[in-house]
Amino acid sequence: MLGFLTARQAGLDDPLRLRRAESTRRVLNLELNHDRDVDRIHSNGVNTIDIEVIEGRYMLSGGADGVIVVYDLENNSRKPQYTCKAVCTVGRSSRYVHRFSVETVQWYPHDTGMFVSSSFDKTMKVWDTETLKPAEVFQFEGNVYCHHMSPIARKHSLIAVGTKDQKVQLCDLKSGSRIQVLQGHRGEVLSVRWSPRYEHILATASTDSRVLVWDVRRASGSLFSLDQHNGDKSKASSEAVNTAHNGRVNGLCFTVDGLYLLTTGTDDRMRLWNSANGKNTLVNYGKVSNESRKGLKITVSRSCSPEFVFVPCGSSVAVYTLHTGELVTMLRGHYNNVDCCQFHPDYQELYSGGKDCNILAWVPVVRPPDVEEGTAVKGGSQATVNPAFEDSWSSDED
Amino acid sequence: MNRKRALISDTFKVNKRRVGNEKQFGAVNNGEAGPLDVKATLQDLMTLFPRKLFNDALPQIVLKHQLYSIHNDRTQVDRQLSDLREQGELLMFQLGFDAEAFGLVFAADYKAKVLAGEEGRGTRGTVDKFLEKVLPSCNDLSFNKDKMLKEFLFTDSEITQLVKSGVLTVRDAGSWWLSIPNSGRFTKYLIQGRKAVLGMVKKSKYNEVLKAELEERQTNSQVKFQIKYHIHDIIGAELVECIPTTSGTLLRCVDY
Repeated sequence: MLGFLTARQAGLDDPLRLRRAESTRRVLNLELNHDRDVDRIHSNGVNTIDIEVIEGRYMLSGGADGVIVVYDLENNSRKPQYTCKAVCTVGRSSRYVHRFSVETVQWYPHDTGMFVSSSFDKTMKVWDTETLKPAEVFQFEGNVYCHHMSPIARKHSLIAVGTKDQKVQLCDLKSGSRIQVLQGHRGEVLSVRWSPRYEHILATASTDSRVLVWDVRRASGSLFSLDQHNGDKSKASSEAVNTAHNGRVNGLCFTVDGLYLLTTGTDDRMRLWNSANGKNTLVNYGKVSNESRKGLKITVSRSCSPEFVFVPCGSSVAVYTLHTGELVTMLRGHYNNVDCCQFHPDYQELYSGGKDCNILAWVPVVRPPDVEEGTAVKGGSQATVNPAFEDSWSSDED
Repeated sequence: MNRKRALISDTFKVNKRRVGNEKQFGAVNNGEAGPLDVKATLQDLMTLFPRKLFNDALPQIVLKHQLYSIHNDRTQVDRQLSDLREQGELLMFQLGFDAEAFGLVFAADYKAKVLAGEEGRGTRGTVDKFLEKVLPSCNDLSFNKDKMLKEFLFTDSEITQLVKSGVLTVRDAGSWWLSIPNSGRFTKYLIQGRKAVLGMVKKSKYNEVLKAELEERQTNSQVKFQIKYHIHDIIGAELVECIPTTSGTLLRCVDY
């Protein structure tokens, strides 16, 4: 570590190298920390969590009871022991709360004044964070499994919605219209994701075992469908259509640079695809157990080398290296199935929520402070104060 | 004290590396001491295959997932396997009982055994032609009617002869899998033996057994292959979990 610092100081190394090495070290050290807790508000499982991209301070969570909670993740108390408090909630007592379980929540990508939630009560609501009232409600014919807003879009403000219906609907936030529909799937659409690289590229995953990639500007159908055998006709059967998995496809995630797409399916496999041409990179992750009938939320780390992917696997979260498929570790801590996880890129923390109504924070292990001879005697009864908050002029003797 | 050994990324590891370093305490060192050599591992595994059981009529078959139980990096194993297949040294077959179970046979072995099996039979000429023309050029697991007729210029009656001799197996109307003649017994014994070995693990106390102990155990009449063959099979297919302990590797049944 000191070698890296000296090299950066002397200019031998790119500054990015130190950052990457330290982020990777921190991600490899993730573990449950008894100092960090998240307020327990949900009374039924947590289905989805989302951390806002602007500051990384507020986290949204949506539960199976229809409740949506906003937490403040920042630790302003000077103590290491901290519980992320719920700042506000849309609880069962609110007039506008969803009637059934909330499947997906997402902050508005450009500021935290707004967030969108979609639920099994066949609606998608656009909420105003200040007043916690929906500014817009979109009604659908079937259960809404997921929705996603493009994080980089400047020219459009479309929300892609995947429902029980086979058509993927595009709702426009600015005008409130829902005219555009993408046809092509033959089963329920379980997951939709915009590419973080190009604002018009959308990927959708469905129970018909296919993943389609669309350019929303095109009037005709999808750009291509992901094929797990890469067009190797010998492996697919003669009548079968290109399938991405041998079962339902329920998890989709782009890597941060948008060059690769990860998909998980109920055939217990996870696949990595090149998002430009749709080729299967054939990275073998082994058996990634997946029994979820709805969507699964997987997430990828950022600015680490190598990149890691976090997949909820039964009641633990599995961490794999992205490009080699090696299982790095299993994060165990939940009491019941884990449904969703989200990576906090600035602090390299992982938040995961599951059916046991807990949101667990996985924090990189802190290096233990060196105990010096003198202070050990004096500071016996005081709580340990983080050395970052200590100053050099106050003294213990008064 | 933090008893858990922390994961260290490669960039922080010390540059001078001793061979056999970085292994967890007590875990059996199955890893390679140098670059991944899939061919050598294949040859080792082939020795586990019981040739006498089939009266030497079958070439030695290894399952692809048995390699995963020895090498940790599956992607590398897959890549090396596809390289070997490109070079024409190795042949891969869809075994039929599981969508993910692939059998691997060395091409030379396969040719020798198939031709030996065809001695004195009328279909020998066609099979010869198939082995000479098709195998070197085409790496697929299955063949379409179109391909057989147009690319390789086989007639319908020749295709029927190939199916009769066991080199091709019907998959659906107009397409065939490449297969090993007389491999039906192999598949039957494999599934029987796999079930029996898994049963042995399940019946143990706490559904777990040390790998070394399982290798020493007496097998009943259901298990026709060497027990090591089956152990590699169940570990690679992820039907049991491999847990490193201070007394060696522990195999625990995965309940679903």
